[in-house]
Amino acid sequence: MNRDIQRYWDLFLILVEKEITLKYKRTYIGFVWSLLNPIFTAIIYFLAFSVFMRFKMDNYALFLLSALFPWNWFSASVLMSVNTLTGNTGLIKKVIFPKHFLVLSLISGQLITMLFAIPVLAAILIYGKGMPGIQWLYGIPILIIIQFMIVSGISMAIAMVNAFFRDLEYITGVVMNMLFWVTPIIYPLSSIPEKFRIILSLNPMMYVIQSWRDLIMTNTINWQYIGISAASAIIFFLAGLFIFEKLSFKLDEVI
Amino acid sequence: MIHIDNLWKSYPARRESLGFKEFVLNLHKILKNRNDVFWALKGISFDIKKGDCVGIIGKNGAGKSTLLSILLGVANATKGIVDIKGRRTPLLELGAGFHPDLSGRENIIINGILLGNTKKEIMKKSAEIIAFSEIAEFIDMPVRTYSNGMYMRLAFSVAVHTEPEILLIDEILSVGDEFFQVKSGEAIKKLINNGVTTVFVSHSMDAIKSICSRVIWLEHGMIKADGDPADVVGQYLEKGR
Repeated sequence: MNRDIQRYWDLFLILVEKEITLKYKRTYIGFVWSLLNPIFTAIIYFLAFSVFMRFKMDNYALFLLSALFPWNWFSASVLMSVNTLTGNTGLIKKVIFPKHFLVLSLISGQLITMLFAIPVLAAILIYGKGMPGIQWLYGIPILIIIQFMIVSGISMAIAMVNAFFRDLEYITGVVMNMLFWVTPIIYPLSSIPEKFRIILSLNPMMYVIQSWRDLIMTNTINWQYIGISAASAIIFFLAGLFIFEKLSFKLDEVI
Repeated sequence: MIHIDNLWKSYPARRESLGFKEFVLNLHKILKNRNDVFWALKGISFDIKKGDCVGIIGKNGAGKSTLLSILLGVANATKGIVDIKGRRTPLLELGAGFHPDLSGRENIIINGILLGNTKKEIMKKSAEIIAFSEIAEFIDMPVRTYSNGMYMRLAFSVAVHTEPEILLIDEILSVGDEFFQVKSGEAIKKLINNGVTTVFVSHSMDAIKSICSRVIWLEHGMIKADGDPADVVGQYLEKGR
């Protein structure tokens, strides 16, 4: 029994490792790209919004990026997950292993990318005369766990359903684009008229993204939002797992 | 060790996807026919004891590969009982878990873990695996640079070194050049002699007769004959003529 756990853990780690190393395998500077990417993103947005178009908001670059980096983790994971099962038919048809790991390792690989963005966010914060607080130490892990559960629930479900209904891949692209605009990423929540805010409040990512922003920009943790996010995280994770398990029985017939 | 009772397996009989217009126009027909299925296996029953080496023969489309997938556990039975105890190692499509951009050494680790080992166990065996594959000088190069033969050698070496309990073989005794074929054939025979339970699908009647202690003949998803290799192979060849 113990050996099985060890084996599954090894399998998970090696898949994550593969996810990370393969990304930059054939490049010259390799892993450095993980840090360079967020830095360049930050510079571009900083130039665009703090130098050329001056918004009436202090440090708009930080405002935007504190939500955009976590969002990118979410959106890249979901969009890439759609094809994790349909794109690994060789493995799925010939080897027995927990297929969830394909999805979970992909999300973990994307999480590493997001982790590299945190020092960049801290640097912009300090540049704007701010200072990361002690809240980061527990706020960031809490938010990562919550978001990981939401992402994995959604990703497991769509990866599996896409094997049966291939149109889902394209639907996912459209829906993610829509979700981007009903999540306060490029605009503040306060800019939405009260009567429309109900629509946004139905979007679980709204609470998560808003929590990231509050934490990064003002070192505050809105426990009510955290609570709502955590509750939806549990629901999403369990629902995703349920769908995955239910359908995986028939997976071999369709891929 | 392997207990199969009244096993049925169906696949959806759906045609390849239609265009949008056909899809909309024929919607009612598609919904009506959605439960059409093709039965690949129709009520198969057999038991395999520990240490047996069972050959499976039959024409293309008889259900051999489907049966092997179910024994491996990557496909599920539609109806019936499948009860298998022991670690199953496939020698089906060698190197299914290989990634072209990773080195031979890295792929040994990944494949070894996929085949049921812990990382520690496979690290311990990797020297032996590399030696057996005879491609030590290329082991740190990405496998996309390997020739087909080298790729197969490496995959085969990993599979036979993972201490299989149940070995599922699909027509792979032709790995690499003739020297390696002899070597790989001997490695399989050694495993069988050591008491590994083996299920062996092949069209090579000579290989079946020389290795197997029992043969099952599948036809149209049903068992046509099951018993002594010489007998069953004889009947099969008789009918095929």
